[in-house]
Amino acid sequence: MSTITIPFGPQHPALEEPINFIFEVEEEKVVNVTPRLGYIHRGIEKLAENRTYLQNVYLAERICGICSFAHAACYSQAVEGLLGTEVPEKARFIRTIIGEMERVQNHYLWLGLTAKEMGFETLFMYAWRDREKMLEILELISGKRVNYGVNTIGGVRCDISSEMLEEIKDKLHQLEERAEYYKSVCTKDQTVLKRTVDVGILAPRDALELCAVGPTLRASGVARDVRSDYPYAAYGEVPLRVVTYKGCDVFSRILVRIDEILVSTGIVEYALENLPSGPIRVRVPRAVPEGEAVSLVEAPRGEDLHYLKSDGSEKPVRLKVRAPTLANLLPLCKMLVDVNIADIPVVIAGIDPCIACAERVMMIDAESRKRKMWSGEELRRYAIEWYQKR
Amino acid sequence: MEWRRAQEVRDRVVPEEVTALLQLALFPGFLFLIVLAFFIEWFDRKLVAKFQNRYGPLHVGPKGILQPFADFVKLLSKEDITPEFADRTPFLLMPLLMFALAVTPLFSVPIADHSALVSFEGDLIVVMFLMTLTALLLLVGAWVSTNRFSTIGGIRTGLQLFGYEIPQNLVMVGPAIATGSLSVSRIVQQQTGGIWFVLTQPLGFVVFAICLLAHLQRVPFDIPEAETEIVGGWLVEFGGRKLALIRLAKDLELVLAGSLMTSLYLGGTGGLDSLSALVYLLKLLACVFILSNLRALFARYRIDQLLVGAWKYLIPLALLQIGLVEVFPW
Repeated sequence: MSTITIPFGPQHPALEEPINFIFEVEEEKVVNVTPRLGYIHRGIEKLAENRTYLQNVYLAERICGICSFAHAACYSQAVEGLLGTEVPEKARFIRTIIGEMERVQNHYLWLGLTAKEMGFETLFMYAWRDREKMLEILELISGKRVNYGVNTIGGVRCDISSEMLEEIKDKLHQLEERAEYYKSVCTKDQTVLKRTVDVGILAPRDALELCAVGPTLRASGVARDVRSDYPYAAYGEVPLRVVTYKGCDVFSRILVRIDEILVSTGIVEYALENLPSGPIRVRVPRAVPEGEAVSLVEAPRGEDLHYLKSDGSEKPVRLKVRAPTLANLLPLCKMLVDVNIADIPVVIAGIDPCIACAERVMMIDAESRKRKMWSGEELRRYAIEWYQKR
Repeated sequence: MEWRRAQEVRDRVVPEEVTALLQLALFPGFLFLIVLAFFIEWFDRKLVAKFQNRYGPLHVGPKGILQPFADFVKLLSKEDITPEFADRTPFLLMPLLMFALAVTPLFSVPIADHSALVSFEGDLIVVMFLMTLTALLLLVGAWVSTNRFSTIGGIRTGLQLFGYEIPQNLVMVGPAIATGSLSVSRIVQQQTGGIWFVLTQPLGFVVFAICLLAHLQRVPFDIPEAETEIVGGWLVEFGGRKLALIRLAKDLELVLAGSLMTSLYLGGTGGLDSLSALVYLLKLLACVFILSNLRALFARYRIDQLLVGAWKYLIPLALLQIGLVEVFPW
């Protein structure tokens, strides 16, 4: 039986962002898959080295449009760690609240997209309509629907006043109801079940070995969550349940995310009830003492990691971002083997990919068609040599 | 009987050839069918939009009613590309043939009167044959456009045909057995006097609606097009004028599907004596309403799931219906 190679992307209706997969297909089954990144590299890490620590908060926010808060919070935490700043209690609570709100809107967005990949347009329209409510809440608090600009080094910039509480709670309640409804739709609708149950299997062992993160990992039955394992912001003080399902398939990933919506709205409600009073930010010096810091945040898509190196000046020496999608790419390739061509989009959507987050430097040798990752030092040397030759 | 006398006078004054020509070109011929196709597309889009909590077409004409026509004109003005490796002649002919195959069976369906423009004993068989040819034509069109996505789409069209064609043709024969004639017009006339076949053969009607969804390649059976999977499938290389014609042909197929449901199961033009065209239109809209409703309800099936479902459920149900008709031939 001969194999056919089918290119998937970088331009494809099922992909919101450019990435390329080369599928080797036998009849309708995928036997091998090669991912190829590099279509949307923006050089953000390099850019960060030329800006001050404060400017970089807003740069970090733009790594990803959907989990913008997670990246900014992660970066701010790293800087605060280097400075030794104690963030005020109220700011920690507000960070938790906005983080969970972002999770809710992301999961709604994801539910809609996955429904669209299944050809279930009506669910797509409904989920996105309901997501608007969360965006309205975020707009009410921060003035923006995406890239909220809430974080700053040493705290947050927006306060949640008591006049907003009623509207926020009302909308949260509606979002909760809709999430319950979608759960019943997804567990009862035959077409959804047919397209997702036992599709894109990722065994718990594979998930751990290939370093899957976030809802993808939790849908394989592994209870790992930065929020409970290494609590940051106010996560030690709010009720948190780590949702896991043991199905290891796309269906479990749907259930994990819908349940997480319910958990998140619970956390937001609790945090709003118990919102402490006091200042929301503290002043910090512009220059950061020499050192290295690693910061972890549970973004909606999974564990987000920022590494920061400082030499005592006003600008960082190195910022390294490991976005959750990058960690989930290898598990994705594992899931894609042995699925039907028709199931490819659903499985890819299942990890909630955000390609722009994941883009880092990768060199591809055009002649031997080999690819390798370069370290920053190698890249620097290559750049110097290249310019000398000119 | 003022109206009948007027008709007789008209028949005497206007030569028969001219009337036939006018009927063919204007009503209920090409012009009417094409306008109807655009209208039905608008109706379908607007309806599904309502179900999905959207607005749908809004700007061209009142309530966006001219939007399908505007889309058609826009596509006509677009660049017309033929892929370098495509088999040119069949690739160019494919949209024309598809349009012809969609419009021809409509002449055998009674629209303005209890008898169709082209009516003879056995025209039901011709309609079935042309509908199957359409699916085969898609396979050929996909194959000659030499695109990997369209090849997959074309093969899926062929596979889908294996699934829905047999039950569809079986349940189309049901009303014919009950009437004792293989003419669509005769089936309509039979129901005008008696009872609608949807009441005596409800099972057949349900199976027929499901099979038509598969024939029209609409959700949940839009497997050969499956935009998110194979980027439009067999359609992928067609653009400009060709795509415009193909879209018009697809609209006409929707009209054909609704008309067949109307004629075979809902009594066709029968009902009010002098307003048969209006009766037909109302019933057609009701049928399109059913088809649109189903489109908004489901996610897409996979091709293997469709085939298993068709052979496991649709074909036995269709056979059961035929058996019941044989036993109780009303």
